[in-house]
Amino acid sequence: MRKVLPSSIALALFTASLVTICSPAQAAEVKMIATIERIELKEKSATVTLKDTKSDKHVSVTVNDDLTLDKLRDKRILEGDEIRLKYDDATGVATYFRKTAGC
Amino acid sequence: MKGVPTTVLTASLLLGLIQPSSLLAADPDLQKKVEALEHELEALKKQVKETDRKMEKVEGKSLGRWLTISGDYRFRYDYMSGDVAPYYQLNPANTQADGSDLFIPVQGQNVKNKALYTNRFGLNLDAKATQNVTVHARLLMYKISGAQDDAALRGSNGQTYFSDRAGIFDGTVGHVPGSSNLAVDQVYATWRNIADQPLWFSIGRRPSTGGSPSHLKENNEKPGNSGVPQLLVDYAFDGMTFGYAPDIDALPGAYLKFCYGRGFENGITTKSGNGLSDTDMAGFNLVPYDTDNLRVEFQYNRGFNIFNTPVMLTGPFQGSAPAVDLGDIDWYGINLLGRIKHVGPGTLNWFISGGLSKTHPNDNTVKVQLQTPIDGFTTTAGLLDTQSGLMWTGAKENKTGNAVYLGCRYDLDGSRTKLGFEYNHGSKNWITFAPASDDMWTSKVGTRGSVYEVYAIQELLVEPISSFKSKAFFRLGYQYYDFDYTGSNNWVGAPTKMADLTAMGAMGPSYGQMLTPLKNASNFYATFEVHF
Repeated sequence: MRKVLPSSIALALFTASLVTICSPAQAAEVKMIATIERIELKEKSATVTLKDTKSDKHVSVTVNDDLTLDKLRDKRILEGDEIRLKYDDATGVATYFRKTAGC
Repeated sequence: MKGVPTTVLTASLLLGLIQPSSLLAADPDLQKKVEALEHELEALKKQVKETDRKMEKVEGKSLGRWLTISGDYRFRYDYMSGDVAPYYQLNPANTQADGSDLFIPVQGQNVKNKALYTNRFGLNLDAKATQNVTVHARLLMYKISGAQDDAALRGSNGQTYFSDRAGIFDGTVGHVPGSSNLAVDQVYATWRNIADQPLWFSIGRRPSTGGSPSHLKENNEKPGNSGVPQLLVDYAFDGMTFGYAPDIDALPGAYLKFCYGRGFENGITTKSGNGLSDTDMAGFNLVPYDTDNLRVEFQYNRGFNIFNTPVMLTGPFQGSAPAVDLGDIDWYGINLLGRIKHVGPGTLNWFISGGLSKTHPNDNTVKVQLQTPIDGFTTTAGLLDTQSGLMWTGAKENKTGNAVYLGCRYDLDGSRTKLGFEYNHGSKNWITFAPASDDMWTSKVGTRGSVYEVYAIQELLVEPISSFKSKAFFRLGYQYYDFDYTGSNNWVGAPTKMADLTAMGAMGPSYGQMLTPLKNASNFYATFEVHF
């Protein structure tokens, strides 16, 4: 006996999966104070892994702006530095990346 | 649309699941071995987890995680030359009761030191004490070769050319060369991220020396939120700061901080007091825009109860202490600092600073004890009223002064060569609060006249080891001071035009001087410096 999944159900499941996967990304801005754990410099960007000082969660963000990239290249921002960070959690791109102010 | 045959799929899955079990069932030895391996794997996993935990614990307590040590060493050679203007020297060691030797005429002459050697050593400690709380300390020694004091900055008879080099005092310890004592130049605790906001509070012996833009000439990093504008303040203050750095898209790097410092502590007095008050400085520093390419800074600060002299630790006035409050001074400043990349083969750094000082004197004047009383001039005990107050002599008046300071440094990135030029000019009544500046003759930004400076820095093409910021370099420089008026960096008495120093009045010399006035001065210097 040969059974087949009804085409209508398969279509419904396929559509549902598309809706789930491809629903418009909510570009939420995430703010945190985090410590730099790793810096990977590329030609026109950098991937920085940080640890949230509150939750200890790790995040990885992309730094694109030239002024911050300069600081990373010149070692003015280093692993271990504490950063006030804002990034778009949909794209992972940092929109604010500065050492915490003080002194 | 065609469907998937479910019978085929189910059969394949069952076959895949059943087959390994059947194989193991067929060989009990193999099954036992697999079980043993599984146990071993579990044990190994636990071991690795435990090791990770221990490593994390050790790393958490390791020095490198919470303590950073850095520092600097400098050897410096100076050739100093200056031309003394003809003038009349006030002579407190007078012997004639008629006052005939109260003023001694001094001829113009050249004075020089062909070789002054100094060694400076600084050690920085930065401790992350708790989350958001750090402690910074800087220990500093600045010694003159062949001496344990700062006498070499004055003439052979103790001639003092400038008040900020008359002796070392609290605000200049470690910044004006002297003994081999290692002083605590800075120590302060900072609490950041208060209430999770970009707020901070910092208290202790402050980083209120070596402010922007002196980092260009000193080949240091650009200061962040710390520091002061070089044109207005260069004095090691004990005090505090409260700052706020809001995140405003249009104003990157913006911050505002309130600063307070104590310049003189009056001690315990009776209810009626001793005629003195504590000397304090308070103000705010506003930086609305701060990126590598442009930094805009404004500052206002007020000095309260300005003393006639600080407590002198060395020199001919050693033991002198504040005897009278002279009034208050307001300062206003603006500082623009910028960088232009790819200017030819290098990078151009530039700055323009402007400052304004305004005095608010009281009626108090400075009195000098003479050896021999003079009828009609002194008290019977020989106390002479100089009739000089806060930037005035004779008639009390508010004085407004101004100054400009500009310059640039061109960095040839490939060869690590840096070439700089600086110019500053202060008006007749300009007064700043910068005695701790890194200048041998006198703080150049306090000059009533013009100062020109050129310098060249050559870093060694060597790889850093101790930190990414470590470097070694030579620096050659030349300063030329052209003084228009007397009393640069001195707030006691009215400035006098150099050409008027020999003028005579009905009662004798019109402008007798306590200090030796220089018409001009030059300083060639060469250093070898290591930052680690």
